[in-house]
Amino acid sequence: MSSPATAVLDADAKAILARCEELYEDLELSAVKAWKAAHPGALAIGYLPTYVPREILHAAGCLPVGVLGAGEQLEIVKGDACFQSYICHFPRSVIELGLSGRLDALDGMIFPSTCDVIRNLSGIWKLSFPGKFARYLDVPQNFDPRIGGRFYRRLLDELHRDLCRLSGREPSAETLWASIAAYDENRRAVRELYELRREEPWRVRASEAYLVLRAGMQLDVHEHTELVRSFLQAVRGRPARAVDDARVVLCGAFCEQPPLGLIRTLERAGCEVVDDDYMLVLRWLGELPRRDGDPLDALSDAYLAYSGETASRYVPDGTAKGERLVQAVRKSRAEGVIFAAPSFCDPALLDRPMLQAVCDREGIAHTALKYAENTGQMQPIREQAGTFADAIKLWGDV
Amino acid sequence: MTITSGIDVGSSAVKAIVLQTEGEQRRVLGRAVHRIRGRELADVVSACYGAALAQAGCTRQDVAYVATTGEAENVEFRTGHFYSMTTHARGGLELVPAARAVLDIGALHGRVIRMDERGKVLEYQMTSQCASGSGQFLENIGRYLGVSLEELGALSRQADRPEQVSSICAVLAETDVINMVSRGISTPNILKGIHLSMADRLVKLVRAARCSGTLVITGGLARDQGLFAALRELVAERELDVELCTHEDSPLAGALGAAIFGEVRKRKLERLASLAAAS
Repeated sequence: MSSPATAVLDADAKAILARCEELYEDLELSAVKAWKAAHPGALAIGYLPTYVPREILHAAGCLPVGVLGAGEQLEIVKGDACFQSYICHFPRSVIELGLSGRLDALDGMIFPSTCDVIRNLSGIWKLSFPGKFARYLDVPQNFDPRIGGRFYRRLLDELHRDLCRLSGREPSAETLWASIAAYDENRRAVRELYELRREEPWRVRASEAYLVLRAGMQLDVHEHTELVRSFLQAVRGRPARAVDDARVVLCGAFCEQPPLGLIRTLERAGCEVVDDDYMLVLRWLGELPRRDGDPLDALSDAYLAYSGETASRYVPDGTAKGERLVQAVRKSRAEGVIFAAPSFCDPALLDRPMLQAVCDREGIAHTALKYAENTGQMQPIREQAGTFADAIKLWGDV
Repeated sequence: MTITSGIDVGSSAVKAIVLQTEGEQRRVLGRAVHRIRGRELADVVSACYGAALAQAGCTRQDVAYVATTGEAENVEFRTGHFYSMTTHARGGLELVPAARAVLDIGALHGRVIRMDERGKVLEYQMTSQCASGSGQFLENIGRYLGVSLEELGALSRQADRPEQVSSICAVLAETDVINMVSRGISTPNILKGIHLSMADRLVKLVRAARCSGTLVITGGLARDQGLFAALRELVAERELDVELCTHEDSPLAGALGAAIFGEVRKRKLERLASLAAAS
């Protein structure tokens, strides 16, 4: 039974979700344009998955904008001319967005070293938009502070100085610490949302959480933190009842995003996704452990010590591969893993057998599927996820 | 003693079962089938479930687990949801314990499910997006011919020279039927032709799923004696090692399987809770 107070909270949650869905569907980046109009002269810098230090962009007075492709909303024509047919869908749609003028509001782009395709995309981008700032960010794969740390510290410094020069700001440690604090606060809010999903998943559907997080790709960090907190307050108070669904962790979607329809299909099939690797940039570092000294050192140290684990990150000790996945399963009390990787995603698909072997060793049920950001036919996925959920619920141990 | 319920939302009807379980003994206390007929789905679900509860002499509070299946993921009062293939397998096994395969023929799809002695799905084959192997197609044909669904079977069995349907496409087959009517083909011969055409597609699924032994038909078309006869004819003609059977509760197999699995899941959740408390 809902009281007037819970009805208000329910309405609040719906209004927030409606706004987030609007942002999700808006390929024209209206929110970014509005931000630029409200901050005359300020720059918006796009970035691709998996991780970029958004604090650096923010401290340089820029709006960091996550570019996650066009999903199922855009027909790819020009993008197909740039990439072979055996390459994933994501770079095609990024190029299509760029060449169709939909990313004109961005004053620059950062391409982190996720895979070879993203590196090639950065080259094609530089050729296509020669006048614009474009940076391939070679985040280190060596996690020794004396080697990878030194290299990364220099990379961060260079990026910081270049962006400050571009936006006409003086680099300042104080400003950078303020940006770090803003993103720490954002990571705290995001973590709370994930905690709520783990503890009471029926309060927030996976697709709802996704939309709220996705809004963080376009909104200013303070605005997004406030939005997440408002959403948390609304959903904690709205009426909801527990449903007996299978708790699963989704793994493999760290770069090209699954269409919203796929996330909703998993929900309808009885899978409660209690942890995932969507938009890892939002929680890649956790909270920075220290707040004094040189802020670039702090960002670099945090990257070396707390980086999330994903297929684009090299794990030198083969025996440690999959440890984080098992931890995620245990922490979220998940009953299985859905390996969902984009078609032709080399990192995710090459990682998969190793992670599956770890799951087998640990007695964790798993299933695997592939998607593209524009996948429209959900029936086979619904069947697979539905039968997987039933197998967990009915035929699993206990 | 545990009371659970199963609600199967199909594309043309909602089916509900109220089940009492005591140890290995199960008894259906109430059952109901309500056609959707363009009405608000939530209202039909509520009415159908209410009718089954009334027949069982129970209230919603008496039910320990409300298990849904089919297109019922959005039934808000559900305890849990099971995929329809899983529930049809278990329901079919409950109705015919010797069965090791189920042929589920609903309004939109036909599918064959091979299972083990616990009702666990081993393999399945399904008709593709084309609706010509389905109840909706048959209902459309009946409407053209002015024949109700209940009359189709008896009329089909009166056929002496079934007319062959040239297309497996539902749309083109409907055109075929219009041509047959204008050529003066009798209604029984048209219907038998349609039944044979549908049976042909379904028997191919049975073969592809490598079924043998007893196969129970479930879903809304399980009661269509014309289709049943056509299936038997083709199974015999193609010498498949399959014995077809049906049951008066076959259209409710999904709801029944859901109710049974609801009870299984309830026990499992209790075990998990006690393990968690112990640790």
